[in-house]
Amino acid sequence: MTVGLTHFLILGTILFSLGLYTVFAKRSAIAILMGIELMLNAVNVNLIAFNRYVAPESHIGQIFSVFVIVVAAAEVAVGLALVISIYRDRISTNVDDLDWLKW
Amino acid sequence: MLKEYLAISMFFIVALLIPVAVIFISRLVAPKKTTPEKEEVYECGVDTVGDTWIRFKTSYFLYALVFVVFDVETVFLYPWAVQFQQLGTFAFVEMFIFIAILVVGFWYAWKEGALEWK
Amino acid sequence: MNFSLLSSEMLAAGLGTGLLILGLIAPKTENRRGFGYITAFGLLAVLVATFFQYGINQSTFHELWIVDDYSVFMKQVFIVAAILVVLSAVDFVETLPRFRGEFFALIVYALLGMMVMASANDLITIYVGLELMTITFFVLVAYQLGDGRSSEAGIKYLILGSVSSAVLLYGMSILYGLTGTTTIPEMLTKLTWSPILVVAIVMLIGGFGFKISLVPFHMWSPDIYEGAPTPITAFLAVASKAAGFAVMVRVFLLGLPLEGAVDWMLLISLLAGITMVIGNVVAIPQTNIKRMLAYSSVAQAGYMIAGLMSMDAPGVKGILFYSMIYVVANVGAFTVATLVRRALDTDTIADYAGLGQRQPLLASTLTICLLSLAGIPPLSGFVGKFYIFQAVMDKGILWPAFVGFVMSMISVYYYLNVALYMWRDDPKDDRPVPVPGPAKLVIVLSLVVTVVLGVYPGPLGELATMAAKSLF
Repeated sequence: MTVGLTHFLILGTILFSLGLYTVFAKRSAIAILMGIELMLNAVNVNLIAFNRYVAPESHIGQIFSVFVIVVAAAEVAVGLALVISIYRDRISTNVDDLDWLKW
Repeated sequence: MLKEYLAISMFFIVALLIPVAVIFISRLVAPKKTTPEKEEVYECGVDTVGDTWIRFKTSYFLYALVFVVFDVETVFLYPWAVQFQQLGTFAFVEMFIFIAILVVGFWYAWKEGALEWK
Repeated sequence: MNFSLLSSEMLAAGLGTGLLILGLIAPKTENRRGFGYITAFGLLAVLVATFFQYGINQSTFHELWIVDDYSVFMKQVFIVAAILVVLSAVDFVETLPRFRGEFFALIVYALLGMMVMASANDLITIYVGLELMTITFFVLVAYQLGDGRSSEAGIKYLILGSVSSAVLLYGMSILYGLTGTTTIPEMLTKLTWSPILVVAIVMLIGGFGFKISLVPFHMWSPDIYEGAPTPITAFLAVASKAAGFAVMVRVFLLGLPLEGAVDWMLLISLLAGITMVIGNVVAIPQTNIKRMLAYSSVAQAGYMIAGLMSMDAPGVKGILFYSMIYVVANVGAFTVATLVRRALDTDTIADYAGLGQRQPLLASTLTICLLSLAGIPPLSGFVGKFYIFQAVMDKGILWPAFVGFVMSMISVYYYLNVALYMWRDDPKDDRPVPVPGPAKLVIVLSLVVTVVLGVYPGPLGELATMAAKSLF
């Protein structure tokens, strides 16, 4: 059995679904951020796999994933900073406690 | 083909056996006397104090933050460095602009005291 | 490679970085009031620079970047919004404990992200612009240190915004996989129907729909709008939404084929209809002015996205024209809310009682802006709605115009409710509501522009027509 595009896409889908599940199921803001990272990495797997199997002559997919990595780092940096700031206010990172504004 | 794998698997088995054997033999041979010293988390070195689950100062976090951002930005430097010969002067200038912007960010972090231990 | 096409973005990037450096050099004791004026003048210069980009219609960097009249018009919408917001925030930043100068720099960076989005002709460029804008907004929304509601809004926006970008990105990766390219016009030629394309399109609509707060992706907006500092709420409500529209129109009209079974238009028109209804109906019981404006902005997104249904230049013209009108009217309303909040420390609509006696200028601006949003002739909001729904009706689709009309009538109710409090009731106490200079300029501008464009929409309409034609 050779590993082909399908396998990578299934891996990507599983990662993405796990990330989405984490976002909805976890109560800790940090865990939710991890879930978001998982979703972005699923996209990276997709992009690289497509680059390799669909359009190997160009490197668009790889370039795209480099940008995704960089943006994800910035996003998480801001996210953790916000978690710290809210932790200073409430002594909690549980998203259920964030109820000063009604959803 | 199979021969090469055989060699590797031999290595693997030996590598697995040695640590198991060492643990097992030392269990058999070693005298079993417990002293309060031995019950410590770290037998030698500084005595441990307090709980493992302590809070870290947010200053650690600030360092980590600055580190992560700059670390990841260097991702752009790798493709640039690999293709440096073909890209020419233009890309050289471009990368300097990129780094200049990063330096402004670093300057900001420094000036705002992100690198000071408070 | 033609660098002159990037001139306005370079100016904006230089302005933002310059402000950051200035903040490092300037003494800490300085109150940063001057930063607001520098930013406003700098943005004015960028606005002037964009006028020279009309009529270029070129793309560069291997089709990554396009400057057509459409993108230039959209950029001007964002810049106008940014200038108004900066002016209205000059006095607001003095209430911030720290980081006053960076506030303006961040607004400029968010603007830069929007400008990149408007000119993006490629999925990677779209993504980078979108994230530059969104991540900057995460920070800006949580800017009021010490106010727990602000940081709570920030983290909610961060979580929901990141999830929506991740979903959008997954859709983009599928599009790349189907075509092997990320350039939008090239995508159109290579896409054919397949089940996975439907998934990609649904994900794109979800991702973009979040940015422009289409129902059912609108749940975040009332919370975030309420918690964020009011000038930022204004910027978020107008400019980030307009930027979402700018990208969405380009991707959907120029990048996705509409033949055979790929009927994304059905989905969009369905969402447009629901958005118009839900946004207006839920706005009625709101007691907080920022929440009310949030739901009203959801409804406005519904009107605007209806313009996409015509799939031709007049519809896009309607969207463009309406974006500009919407920016001016909404920034006017939010500026009034900022000033009232500052003087009376309240966002509750009932506390606006007697504003007509306290500050007739504020009360009349708020009334005019709200009525314009409701689409009462002869104000400019009516003209914008007219352009949009006429374009759709010309294509033989009548129901959006009908729904839009009925919903506008409903919206008059909750908009007039605010006016009623302001003009009918007496003030509860005699605290004054001061109007500082820069904010007064914003308020007078939005008042005048809203009225004048309603009576005399000609020049802006022509500009919008030209811009819309450059897309097709």
